[in-house]
Amino acid sequence: MMTGNELSTEIKYPPCKLACPIQTDVREYVQLIAERRFEEAFATIRKQNPLPRVCGRICTHPCETACKRGQVEEPIAIAALKRFASDGLWRDQYEAALPGKSTGHKVAVVGSGPAGLAAAHDLALLGHGVTIFEALPVLGGMLRVGVPEYRLPNDVLDEEIHTIVDLGIEVKTGVRIGKEIKLTDLFEQGYKAVFMGIGAHRDRKLHIAGEDKLKGVVSAVSFLRGVNQAEKPRVGVRVAVIGGGNTAIDSARSALRLGAEGVHIVYRRSREEMPAAKEEIEEAAHEGVQMSYLTSPLEILGRDGKVSALKCIKNELGDPDDSGRRSPKPVPGSEFSFDVDMVIAAIGQAPDSSLVAEEIEVTERRKRIIVDGPYTLVTTQPGVFAGGDAVTGPATVVEAISAGKRAAISIDSYLRGESPATVESAGPTETERLSSVIIEKTTKFERCLKTSLPADNRVKGFDEVEAVLSEDVAVKEALRCLHCFLGARLDKEKCISCLTCVRVCPLGIPTTNKMGEITIDPFACQACGTCALECPVRAIDISLDSRAQMAQKIEKGMAESHQPDPVIVGFFDLHGNFGSSDMERLRQGHPNVLPVMVFGLRRVDTFDVLKAFECGADGVFLAGCAPDTDPFPEATDRVKRRMAHARTLLDALGIDGARLEVCDMPEQGIVDKELIDGLIQRIKEAGQARSE
Amino acid sequence: MITLEQKKFQEIEKMTKGYNPLLVLGCETCAAMSFAGGQQQVAELASAIRIARKTSGQEGEVLEDAVARQCEPEFVDLIADKVGGCDAVLSIACGAGVQLFAERFQDKVILPGCNTTFLGVTEELGVWSERCAGCGNCILDKTAGLCPIARCSKQLLNGPCGGSMNGKCEISKEVDCVWQLIIDRLTRLNRLEMLEEIFPVKDWSPAGHGGPRKMVREDLKS
Amino acid sequence: MKSGSNLERILESGRFSVTAEAGPPKGSSPKVIQRKGELLKLCCDALNVTDNQTAIVRMSSLSGCVLLKELGVEPVLQMVVRDRNRLSLQSDILGAAALGIRNVLCLSGDHQKFGNHPTAKGVYDIDSIQFIQMVKTMRDEHKFLNAEEISGDVPFFIGAAANPFADPFEFRVIRLAKKVSAGADFIQTQGIFDMAKFVEWMKMVRDRGLDEKTHILAGLIPIKSVGMARYMRSNVSGLSVPKEIVDRMADAKEPKEEGVKICLETIEQLKEVDGVHGVHIMAVAWEDIVPRIVEEAGLMPRPVV
Ligand SMILES: Cc1cc2nc3c(=O)[nH]c(=O)nc-3n(C[C@H](O)[C@H](O)[C@H](O)COP(=O)(O)OP(=O)(O)OC[C@H]3O[C@@H](n4cnc5c(N)ncnc54)[C@H](O)[C@@H]3O)c2cc1C
Ligand code: SF4
Ligand code: SF4
Ligand code: SF4
Ligand code: SF4
Repeated sequence: MMTGNELSTEIKYPPCKLACPIQTDVREYVQLIAERRFEEAFATIRKQNPLPRVCGRICTHPCETACKRGQVEEPIAIAALKRFASDGLWRDQYEAALPGKSTGHKVAVVGSGPAGLAAAHDLALLGHGVTIFEALPVLGGMLRVGVPEYRLPNDVLDEEIHTIVDLGIEVKTGVRIGKEIKLTDLFEQGYKAVFMGIGAHRDRKLHIAGEDKLKGVVSAVSFLRGVNQAEKPRVGVRVAVIGGGNTAIDSARSALRLGAEGVHIVYRRSREEMPAAKEEIEEAAHEGVQMSYLTSPLEILGRDGKVSALKCIKNELGDPDDSGRRSPKPVPGSEFSFDVDMVIAAIGQAPDSSLVAEEIEVTERRKRIIVDGPYTLVTTQPGVFAGGDAVTGPATVVEAISAGKRAAISIDSYLRGESPATVESAGPTETERLSSVIIEKTTKFERCLKTSLPADNRVKGFDEVEAVLSEDVAVKEALRCLHCFLGARLDKEKCISCLTCVRVCPLGIPTTNKMGEITIDPFACQACGTCALECPVRAIDISLDSRAQMAQKIEKGMAESHQPDPVIVGFFDLHGNFGSSDMERLRQGHPNVLPVMVFGLRRVDTFDVLKAFECGADGVFLAGCAPDTDPFPEATDRVKRRMAHARTLLDALGIDGARLEVCDMPEQGIVDKELIDGLIQRIKEAGQARSE
Repeated sequence: MITLEQKKFQEIEKMTKGYNPLLVLGCETCAAMSFAGGQQQVAELASAIRIARKTSGQEGEVLEDAVARQCEPEFVDLIADKVGGCDAVLSIACGAGVQLFAERFQDKVILPGCNTTFLGVTEELGVWSERCAGCGNCILDKTAGLCPIARCSKQLLNGPCGGSMNGKCEISKEVDCVWQLIIDRLTRLNRLEMLEEIFPVKDWSPAGHGGPRKMVREDLKS
Repeated sequence: MKSGSNLERILESGRFSVTAEAGPPKGSSPKVIQRKGELLKLCCDALNVTDNQTAIVRMSSLSGCVLLKELGVEPVLQMVVRDRNRLSLQSDILGAAALGIRNVLCLSGDHQKFGNHPTAKGVYDIDSIQFIQMVKTMRDEHKFLNAEEISGDVPFFIGAAANPFADPFEFRVIRLAKKVSAGADFIQTQGIFDMAKFVEWMKMVRDRGLDEKTHILAGLIPIKSVGMARYMRSNVSGLSVPKEIVDRMADAKEPKEEGVKICLETIEQLKEVDGVHGVHIMAVAWEDIVPRIVEEAGLMPRPVV
């Protein structure tokens, strides 16, 4: 059994990171955004993800599903923050990592979807010579020919791909491996390893009457491929889209944009079972797509060789099938038809693996490439690796990226003659649940609203629907983060069971048993810092703005300070969320102030104030955030009271206590000019009085 | 617990003047629980002394440390080396700790950083109050578990005096009349008749009026 | 007779008794006490000499008693346990007996915090009830607190204070009973303004039969001004001054006259309360008024028994 001690010292992944297939350091970049350190935020993201702008737009964000904040009201808008951090800082700010020292090995990457791109990127960084073979004339895989432009603009994708290719990757488009070049040929051409990231581009058939002979029946993949070309396909007046995945939704929304008057999605189960992302379903409905749930197509009816109507039957949900979803059962006698002149089949895709099936083994029914494990990704052919949709069937961008990254590691070991890593992590485990008491005690902050084009304008074309967050909104959103596992760390050796932490925690997280053994649940803790502030023996520290970090901020800031005399250390609560222009105004209007940014004034103790004076500050002020932006206003109040104590101490020290000020940041601007001017005035007067 | 409060800084500054190096030594039991002598307060106080020395142009290093309890010889001895290198030790402990220190280090200047206040309870964080006078002869069985020696301003054993009003002691509206509390409690317990008897004169000798107190357990001592 | 004092004789004869208070000065002159003695000689059966009243240092009560006795006035020696431990209390009792003092009033005393030496150490070795019991044992059994024999008599008429207006009200009678069983021969109460409450208290006293076992002298404080009334109403712990009294004083054209009137009305009402055996007038800094009050209350001349 785990004791509280083990729990509290163990480093744990926050739920967001744990849920992310590439284990993005979400908490870190969200925090950097909150601190307005956008460049570092972007660097953090880019380090792990070669396609941040893509993911910022279309990632299915399992991190948000897992986010602890989601248990309180709504999760942090992690994807939107990623887009915010990435969009604004493209290329010029990002110093692309240079490819490592060349190993002399050549690797062929087949397919330029996210799996292939990620593998190519990471392999290039490892120093391998990479060539991408792409069957289509364009790079990007489904991102290019599947996802429509209104969700992922071409230029965004272009730039991401360029940055990857710029690492020195050779690109060969229009080459279909298995056809022009066999896999074995690649080895003959000197490639030491091959990564197969060929995706899943073959639409599954409906297997109903009329599918093959009538004009106006198309597969979603080919339809969307057309949509993603300059020359857009023609659509019918009334369109039925069959299926419930993202492909179906994108087909429907694209059809609307191409002038269809009515678009119906026909899905055999209910909305709950629909695999498409919730937001996408909502957007589609918002734009006017009609949903027919619990409906299966029976036959496509035609007139003059063209589609004229779709005959369907109503379903009810039966017992769960092997996928865990309840399987639909037709309701006898519920058949009906409606007029359509176009049917798009979007019921799933399989890899187009027939060309390579002789050389590597694929699954019987769905034709997926068989690999020996999710970390090695070795196919049945030595030196050939595979990942992405080609292995899993239609999945997500981030899973494909993850596969590409894993493959790069595995290929690297293979090339170096090492046995590939076989260790398998436990994988994402379920997020712990917060108790209802803690949820109730947690201050709620609304999730940022997204800014989108009005629905009417949207359907007129393929302009990107969603806008990037503004700076202030992004920072505000980032400040909602609960800093999972960055909270209280208890040193049981030091604890004297004084119960202070139990008494002061605004969330009631530390608990005691009758022998005085304290337990602090590291998952539930929100790093408010009150317990660390009050613990008389310093048995607690907070990972977020730890004691050492605080001291360092003050010492370093003072050592490097160029502030004119008198120097005033100003502790600013980041929750005040003042803008960069405010910062500039502070620098210009109050050159004496050395700002020290903290996540909550609760991180500032008398000791820190003394430290500032010890380092030579002439005055100190604490600028708290407006009370309605403070997640722990009552706990912050303690600090304000503590400063009254600090003032008496300063008086006793012969440093006028009036040199310490506490204020709340006004809603506009940063701190009162009057406050700082007054402080400077008092310091000067005190200085004069002393020298007299 | 024994409650303590740090002496006023001015007093501390004055008594520690000129000692270099000075060791500020916390005590991590009662003193820490009183927020007077834990590492946190030691750090704060040491920092304050350093600043005071700096601003008044004095020399002098200020060291910090703490032990689990300054009233135990073994703990005190553990920092003998550090103490050896210091001019003086400012002990942030109760008077007992300070004195044991003085005994263990015959040639060292030892200074008290705290006032020992009383034997009490934590009413809530930041609020303590006296409960026991250490009278050496507990009478709580006769006073409903509330001590008139520690808590009656006149230490009456046959209270309440005529100054008791609205449940408050005559000395202050802020102070509960413990006799009112005793009566209330006995009324609730249906035992008020206990108070009809005259409480006899108390033997104060075990309360310290018999000279300094000492306790010896023959079975435990070596 | 326990002590043979004048007060004891009058009370034992069933007569309505009058006592008053004479506070010693903050100085060494005998004049103050002597003047008060002369003034009150004829209108009282005995005069209480206070013991560092309200914890303000004054001439000792024992000396005041001796000065009065020299004038032929019978004193009541007030003693508080605040300033003396059991040794000192017993030795003073012996000394007082030797000097012919026959009445003692055993008190706790106001807390030192109220006085002019608020940082003094309070003694409170024994409490007032234990003190009463101790004097009674000295008198009746000729024994010190430690059970050692006392040589000679310790003839004291033992008094105690009672405050019917302090809290908790119900317990006040129990405490009186304790004092009576400890040995209180007479009781002087706190000043009475709240007659209803006093009457209620007296009923409880009678229900317990305490009025048969001790003599209750009802306390009176003549009010000089509305300011004094107000002060007593809000600042003196253990006093209950109803609002009507304050209002009457505030509305009066001649407050002093109104004060006298209130006092006289109170005496009239007290005479009607069963079990009240006399009055004790505490005219602090207004001793001059006492003869007039006693006169107008129809309590003159004082009987000789
Ligand atoms: C319409 C649509 C919408 C989607 N929306 C989302 C979304 O919102 N969020 C999300 O996370 N995921 C979404 N997905 C899924 C996501 O796009 C895929 O999971 C992901 O692109 C798979 O990446 P991949 O690299 O494995 O394959 P792909 O992206 O499919 O790339 C495979 C590439 O290999 C090429 N290729 C195939 N065979 C050969 C060959 N023999 N030789 C050379 N090249 C070959 C193909 O031309 C293609 O370019 C969507 C998919 C579709 C179709
Ligand atoms: S609250 Fe922050 S750290 Fe926690 S899961 Fe959400 S984004 Fe991650
Ligand atoms: S505040 Fe510190 S010493 Fe007190 S119980 Fe909590 S961890 Fe232990
Ligand atoms: S007081 Fe704050 S930091 Fe400490 S346990 Fe509670 S939430 Fe976490
Ligand atoms: S009022 Fe109560 S607590 Fe105060 S001295 Fe009198 S009996 Fe004691």
